[in-house]
Amino acid sequence: MTSMEKRLQKELQAMTKDPPVGVKVNMESLSSNLSEWVVDIDGATGTLYEGEKFQLGFKFTPRYPFDSPQVMFIGRNIPVHPHIYSNGHICLSILTEDWSPALSVQSVCLSIVSMLSSCKEKKLPPDNAIYVRTCSKDPKKTRWWYHDNSV
Amino acid sequence: MDGNFSYDPAKNYDEDTMAQQRAIEKEIAESQSLIGSVLSFDDIVEEYAKEDAVYRHKVEDLKTRYKTVRKVRGDGNCFFRAFGFAYLERLLTRPEEYSRFVDITQKSKDKLLALGFPQFTLEDFHDVFMDIVSQVKSPGTVEKLKETFNDQGLSDYFVVYLRLLVSGELQGNEGEYLHFIDGERTVKEFCGQEVEPMGKESDHIHIVALARSVGVPVAVEYMDREGNKCNLLSFSPGEGGEGGQEAQPSLFLLYRPGHYDILYPL
Repeated sequence: MTSMEKRLQKELQAMTKDPPVGVKVNMESLSSNLSEWVVDIDGATGTLYEGEKFQLGFKFTPRYPFDSPQVMFIGRNIPVHPHIYSNGHICLSILTEDWSPALSVQSVCLSIVSMLSSCKEKKLPPDNAIYVRTCSKDPKKTRWWYHDNSV
Repeated sequence: MDGNFSYDPAKNYDEDTMAQQRAIEKEIAESQSLIGSVLSFDDIVEEYAKEDAVYRHKVEDLKTRYKTVRKVRGDGNCFFRAFGFAYLERLLTRPEEYSRFVDITQKSKDKLLALGFPQFTLEDFHDVFMDIVSQVKSPGTVEKLKETFNDQGLSDYFVVYLRLLVSGELQGNEGEYLHFIDGERTVKEFCGQEVEPMGKESDHIHIVALARSVGVPVAVEYMDREGNKCNLLSFSPGEGGEGGQEAQPSLFLLYRPGHYDILYPL
């Protein structure tokens, strides 16, 4: 087993044994070497996303956890949020610049849930149209400009 | 890029820029091992001096106090890797200091857990870190350590744990460090942005925090463009830090803007 698989096995165990509220690994989605995951996310009670269901796609390189995972919303329902583009790309610094190998699938999911929960108004990022037209398919190939931490 | 470049606002340049960054990183990785061999100053004077004649005088100054230098790869982790290697190398001949260090780093895991670091990722890094430290005793040799530190996987695990120790020191003593942080950031934000991610360069605050968290005084020769001599700055664990046996720094690093190498005193 490679060190990436070993690490992801441990993460998977922790996530299935003790999952954070509203976060669930979709077991059917897992590829055999664990390099791709889908995680089901429920919009938290009492937030603008209550009752909505979302899916996060994770992809890991063999250099994980030194390389950050590629994380984006996938499927039919993409949350409308000032830091989430309509193609599913997420503007969140821990996914690129501020990624640390001590973070994990769980900590990424928690950050995204908290980003949704603290949202005050459902609206697209101001540059959504141009970004979606010109960006790479891989959000990690975008040099993100992190606007603020308020939502 | 050719001379006729004109900016096209409808085009996305991110991929080109990032490909260029990766090419630079690859070039550095191919030309410099993570931990290099011991070199004399005559071996490196040309390289150091080519940027600036002032550096030539500074190398002469270094020669009056140090016998050799060991180069470390400039990948943003060089302070941590240089510190880690130079310190373990020193422990090879200091069994008492080794025991103290093992004791302190064993206990560090629970301290970090108490600060809220996630258990299973922390444990992973701590276990590999302790394995590497124990190579000093097995019995260790400089060659074996060098091999370990040049194994990117192991070496990076070691660096991550040192970064976590620094983050723990800063967050555990927030009040003492808050005023030394640039920008309007909390200590926790600073750690998330400038300490824990790999490749983020180290400044005084990282050095002070590492010296204090493991009780190891370290001295840095600053080789900048002012004057004819290098400036020596000592970072000692002081009263708030973990008490080591050594009051005087025994670990010497050379800083040239953006980069740390290891120095060996005469």
